[in-house]
Amino acid sequence: MLIAEPLQRAIDELSKLPSIGRKTALRLALYLLKSEKADVELFVKSLIELKEKIKFCSICSNITVDEICDVCKSRKRDRSIICIVEEASDIIAIERTNEYNGLYHVLGGVLSPLSGKDADSLNIHKLIERVENSEVKEILVALNPDTEGETTTLYLAKLLKPFGIRISRIARGLPIGGDLEFADEATIGRAVLGRVDL
Amino acid sequence: MTIDFIELENFRLHKKTKLKFSKELNYIVGGNGQGKTTILEGIYYLCTTKSLNQSSDIEAVNFDSNFFEVKGKFSDLTTNTARVYYDTEVNKKSIFIDDKQIYRASAVIGKFPVVTLTQSDHAITLGAPSERRKFVDSVISQSSETYLKILLEYNKTLRQRSSLLTQIKEANSKNLFDQLEAWTENLIKNGTEIVKHRLSFISDFNDYLKTAYENIMGEIENPEIEYSFLGECAAGNIENVFEEEIKKRREEELRRATNVVGPHRDDFEFIVNDYSLKKYGSQGQHKTFQIALRFGEFFFLNDKIGRKPVFLMDDIYGELDLFRAGKISDYLGKIGQAFITMTDFTKYDNLKKTENDLLINVKNGIAENA
Ligand SMILES: [Zn+2]
Repeated sequence: MLIAEPLQRAIDELSKLPSIGRKTALRLALYLLKSEKADVELFVKSLIELKEKIKFCSICSNITVDEICDVCKSRKRDRSIICIVEEASDIIAIERTNEYNGLYHVLGGVLSPLSGKDADSLNIHKLIERVENSEVKEILVALNPDTEGETTTLYLAKLLKPFGIRISRIARGLPIGGDLEFADEATIGRAVLGRVDL
Repeated sequence: MTIDFIELENFRLHKKTKLKFSKELNYIVGGNGQGKTTILEGIYYLCTTKSLNQSSDIEAVNFDSNFFEVKGKFSDLTTNTARVYYDTEVNKKSIFIDDKQIYRASAVIGKFPVVTLTQSDHAITLGAPSERRKFVDSVISQSSETYLKILLEYNKTLRQRSSLLTQIKEANSKNLFDQLEAWTENLIKNGTEIVKHRLSFISDFNDYLKTAYENIMGEIENPEIEYSFLGECAAGNIENVFEEEIKKRREEELRRATNVVGPHRDDFEFIVNDYSLKKYGSQGQHKTFQIALRFGEFFFLNDKIGRKPVFLMDDIYGELDLFRAGKISDYLGKIGQAFITMTDFTKYDNLKKTENDLLINVKNGIAENA
């Protein structure tokens, strides 16, 4: 079947999004085609603003509209503890529990030789700088409890040991092989409270 | 657990087959290539979402169709309908339990336990160590979801670690050693869990094996499985022994860029009357051992899970003399529901049967209750 080129291009772009297949992309493109022009413009504008206005915090790499994120700016947060997470979306998950009042650090991935992720490609240098130049007394590692998350946790524990600070991890209340991002709040909250030393 | 009925549509030779089953023995009799085993395979699909002999889904589709569907109902202690639908055009398999779609195949494993006794079981006693690990792992996995998950994580760790070893070798890069250490630590942690599970499984399972062997042979022989991880060591000590060995063989791992130490290289030794089955066992002893392993598996899972697995037996009677065939059909009586394929009517006529047993004739993809 021959598809008009602008439609084909829209389908190609839409199907690049995660969990969108060709069929769904076609359906979305046809939906947009039938929508009011003003609605489509609003949609496009929101995406461009997302890209232009959202930045990554220069301290912890959290999602923010300013140079520094709300967590790092806040005077109410406990600056003696940093929680390490894989992605900024994990911060949202932990914040929702209201069980944690410290700072964060987004690694931007975990160790995975199969997908070419080594320690250098993670946001680790900045973490070391933060630990060296601040009053941090504890690092809480909160990575997914799968083999990549576990190995990264073990790696970080060894790396941070020379600084003589407390290193903890969230407790195993989460299913093995599960995704922190999708776990329910009570589970994450309990896990944060029940952290254990490494 | 029993299966009340099954419906096969465009499933290999079966265009449309509907069968009601007996809660006791179901004998499925017919010539070679007529579609007997396909009925077992349909049941196996319902229990595991996979084919019996690890063939791909597309091979199970009837040659002039573009989909297959298998439906059935489980009852006794669990009441579930299960449905597996496969579409060749999108190469997609959909699984439904009680009409709700299931997206992760691992959610089905262990839900409908199944034990198969087939000709290819000869590989368990005669084949490579991987065949014995596969047997042991599949029995433990069906009884413990935790074990299944640890095993999946361990296998992922192996792939990640060997990829890192390759990178270290190719780039000759020593600054990855810190990361290797972390992967090693994780390998030891998950690997130790696997070894502990296997140790406790074998010590449990030996009793089941003995009972099964007695029932099949009718006389006392002493069968046993021996498992040791890296030689004799106490259960509390596995982690240390593992760590020591991996240290010792570090150069070899770096040179070969592969994981040389761990439970993925384990073997299990089968013993009869204090001698090695592999070295000294007769053909008959091998066969008996293979059958005993499967009956042992059945009663082990029954006790662990608290409900009876589905028992499938594919073309085993053909190889047995009448004495042993009779013993096995007596033993099957203790199992409850079982599905047994046979090519041979004369053998069928010689078996003791009860009025609840069912005979199903299969010819050219058409099956009917006799
Ligand atoms: Zn920040």
